[in-house]
Amino acid sequence: MSYVDAGYAIALATLFVYAVGLVLRRRRWERVLRVSEAPVTQGDGVPGPGERS
Amino acid sequence: MSERAVLPGRPRWLDAFGALGVIAMGFTVWLGLWVTPPDKFQGNLARLLYIHPAIATVALYWVGIVAAGGSLLYLWPRTRSFFWDRLAASAVEVGAMFAALTLVTGSLWGRPVWGVWWTWDARLTSTALLLLLEIGYLALRRVPAEPAVRARRCAVAALLIAIDIPIVHFSVDWWNTLHQGGTFLDPGFKIHASASMSWTFLLGFIAFSLIFVWLLGMRYQVEVLQDAVGDQELEVSLTERWSEDTELVGVGVADRDPTPGGATP
Repeated sequence: MSYVDAGYAIALATLFVYAVGLVLRRRRWERVLRVSEAPVTQGDGVPGPGERS
Repeated sequence: MSERAVLPGRPRWLDAFGALGVIAMGFTVWLGLWVTPPDKFQGNLARLLYIHPAIATVALYWVGIVAAGGSLLYLWPRTRSFFWDRLAASAVEVGAMFAALTLVTGSLWGRPVWGVWWTWDARLTSTALLLLLEIGYLALRRVPAEPAVRARRCAVAALLIAIDIPIVHFSVDWWNTLHQGGTFLDPGFKIHASASMSWTFLLGFIAFSLIFVWLLGMRYQVEVLQDAVGDQELEVSLTERWSEDTELVGVGVADRDPTPGGATP
């Protein structure tokens, strides 16, 4: 492999891997946000704010 | 928290930038590797110059404008918004990747042309310093703090990093360096390259600039999601804390001995 081929391969591969990484990170954070937004199931005996035990 | 993270949709224009960037990149690679003739002096090694200066332009100027501009706009009270903070942070992360690529592609060109992978030349050293400072900024951003404190701290750091940008740019004029000055365009803007080489060179700049905008937009979306999750977690922990306090107060009232001195009849 020549220096030129190596330069193009490294540049393109880095951009590709970084872009894929961003897509995966975005999906992961979307999943985390969905989970954290999901309503907590009641019945654990802990009163919510404003509730009386 | 002065401003909640507003979740981004997936803007069409961003995908359009990405698609155009990929197409332009494909053409740059095709023209750069197969269509353009070898250089009179450097032979095939000149093909690296269709990507290296374009990558360096993004790493230095586009990233510098967005990161320093965003940080200034965040620090300016009239325009203060977490949008600018997130944009600057996104630009610095993408910029660190481009700065690393600048050093790697430059090194691959320098080895056969200069005979060394690396030399403590002013342009190379100041670019390496830029990369280190950007990594430092990213580390600073991970230090736990209130969002407003973190944003202010990072904005100041970004402005300090921006001082290195004119140093990188003018390093070839201020010091006697191994790295050459502008070889493609002379001060009178006379182009010293064949038409196919010039167009490929220009297309490389366009391709990497489009890809930069696309990556910046995607990174910004990740930043917004991270902040939104942080807001949620803070809200949940505050709610839990609040309910714990309420419980403790309830228990305290129930257990309190009604008689003074604690003596029960």
